[in-house]
Amino acid sequence: MDRALARRLEARFEGVLHGHARQRHDQTEVRIGAGDLVEVLRALHDEPELKFEMLADLAGVDTGTEMQVVYHLWSATTTDWLRVIAEGLSRDDPRAPSVTFLWAGAEWMEREAYDMFGITFEGNRDLRRIYMPPDYTSFPLRKDFYLPDDAARSPGAGVRHVERTKSPTDAAPGVLRQTRA
Amino acid sequence: MATQVPPRPAAPGAVPAGTHRSQDDPNVLLQDDYDFYEPIPPYPPRTEREAEFYTLGDGEMFLNMGPQHPSTHGVLRVVLKLDGERVVDIDPVLGYLHRGVEKLIENADYHQTISQVDPLEYISSLFCEWAPVTAYERLLDVEVPRRAEYIRVLSAELNRIASHALFLGWFALDLGGLTPILWSFIERDEIVEMLAALTGQRMLFNYFRIGGVNGDLNHEFMSRLGDWMSRAVAQIEAGTGLLNENEIFVRRAAGLGVIDQQSALRYCMTGPNLRATGVPFDLRRMHPYSIYPELDFEIPTRTEGDSLARYLLRMEEIKQSIRIIDQCLEQMPDGPIMAKLPRLIRPRPGRAWSGIEGPRGVYGAYAISDGSDQPFRLKIHDPSFIHLQAVGALLPGNLLADTMAIMASLDPVMGGVDK
Repeated sequence: MDRALARRLEARFEGVLHGHARQRHDQTEVRIGAGDLVEVLRALHDEPELKFEMLADLAGVDTGTEMQVVYHLWSATTTDWLRVIAEGLSRDDPRAPSVTFLWAGAEWMEREAYDMFGITFEGNRDLRRIYMPPDYTSFPLRKDFYLPDDAARSPGAGVRHVERTKSPTDAAPGVLRQTRA
Repeated sequence: MATQVPPRPAAPGAVPAGTHRSQDDPNVLLQDDYDFYEPIPPYPPRTEREAEFYTLGDGEMFLNMGPQHPSTHGVLRVVLKLDGERVVDIDPVLGYLHRGVEKLIENADYHQTISQVDPLEYISSLFCEWAPVTAYERLLDVEVPRRAEYIRVLSAELNRIASHALFLGWFALDLGGLTPILWSFIERDEIVEMLAALTGQRMLFNYFRIGGVNGDLNHEFMSRLGDWMSRAVAQIEAGTGLLNENEIFVRRAAGLGVIDQQSALRYCMTGPNLRATGVPFDLRRMHPYSIYPELDFEIPTRTEGDSLARYLLRMEEIKQSIRIIDQCLEQMPDGPIMAKLPRLIRPRPGRAWSGIEGPRGVYGAYAISDGSDQPFRLKIHDPSFIHLQAVGALLPGNLLADTMAIMASLDPVMGGVDK
């Protein structure tokens, strides 16, 4: 845990961070609004005392009440992973600025977050679906997208009559006799 | 006399207003906005980039490669824009192996998720397991016993060698050499059988557990390992000697698909592909985890950044992995292989990330717990996905015949790309 990093970040981005920097294990977490994202990430990437040059991951998150975009950054100036959470995106129309101007490799990660959550990254010039087919209309990793029920209760289950019942004695009359014959 | 193919009959009936028939296939109705040929793709462009790509310049053509192309290392479709034999631009189309693993994980309990992540990169499954397992352990604040950590490193380094050995074979095959893959499969099969003795499975190991590993070292594994270790170095050098001293291979691979340091960082590349450009970034040293700080090994780097450098670097890494395995066997402590944990785990609400240095780069897992027995969200970060994206930057200007060679030198596995 790099306490100095938390202090440095809190001093540098005073008034921008939501609350304090949180630390646990080898990770430091800061939360910001989507509006400050470009400014904060550019400073983290460019300033020599921060120099977070490596984007390790970009993840979309649906908390059920709001959308978030989570960035994991690595730098040689600290022993911690830095997690930047852009929070407070509305679930109806989530929008966040693209970071492809800093990391060209973020393009596909943003496409994935768009495909799975419907988050629009403004400035990404290739924001189309990446895994799902082009005519697909929903966003599968949202919390209001349910998986079909377990196989036993699905309409396709139980091709044979005997399989639909809990025990063989519950089977409709005739069915049991036929299977024994 | 050659038989003549009769032209397809035009579909009868009137055409709806605002449409006309395609010249290629009269059964296809086109909107009047389009020309008489079916556009590719058959829907209006969705983004600026798509519109740019699917507009042909003078003398250019499209060539569709895949999804069933034998050397795309999985199921991948690439649309190539060609000018003569030169590649102008590419548009990879993913999703043929997508199975929604992140959604499945949200609906499984913590222990069940380990078997879900196995088939991601089926060549290096242990690393796919390692990242989420470590993330869960950080959520739970559980300490893994030292013997379990040693067994993890030992088995994972074996897995790394198996993966790099397979890379050697595939890379040579994509450059047109058949022999190395037959030789590297000997290597790989020995390791795979060894790991099968340890874990019970040949490829999808399902071996790591939250707080330890599934089984202790056994006699069959140890005897196979000892047998192999006694001749591993000689065997690997014989395999690489086939290629390193082959002038055709070396001259073909050198200077192919060059990427410089800054571009590699901008493309978020990690692992051997980044180290081949001269950045000594290896999480085992730069952000140590498990027992790697206690082990003595080197991080090989090269500066050329071409396909040959990526290949030679992986062969160096095999030697370093053998060093690590030697030290693991020497220092292996006694003790338990599992931390004491309840059967049903409910981590307190929180977030954890873990990055693991795998054979292809950084495998990451970002886990969010809401206090229930199922992960609220698990984001899996896969290096193959990142490196396949960089192919778009490496290919333009190269010959069509080099497409597969450059792609193979980055070593993507489609199971991981498509999740």
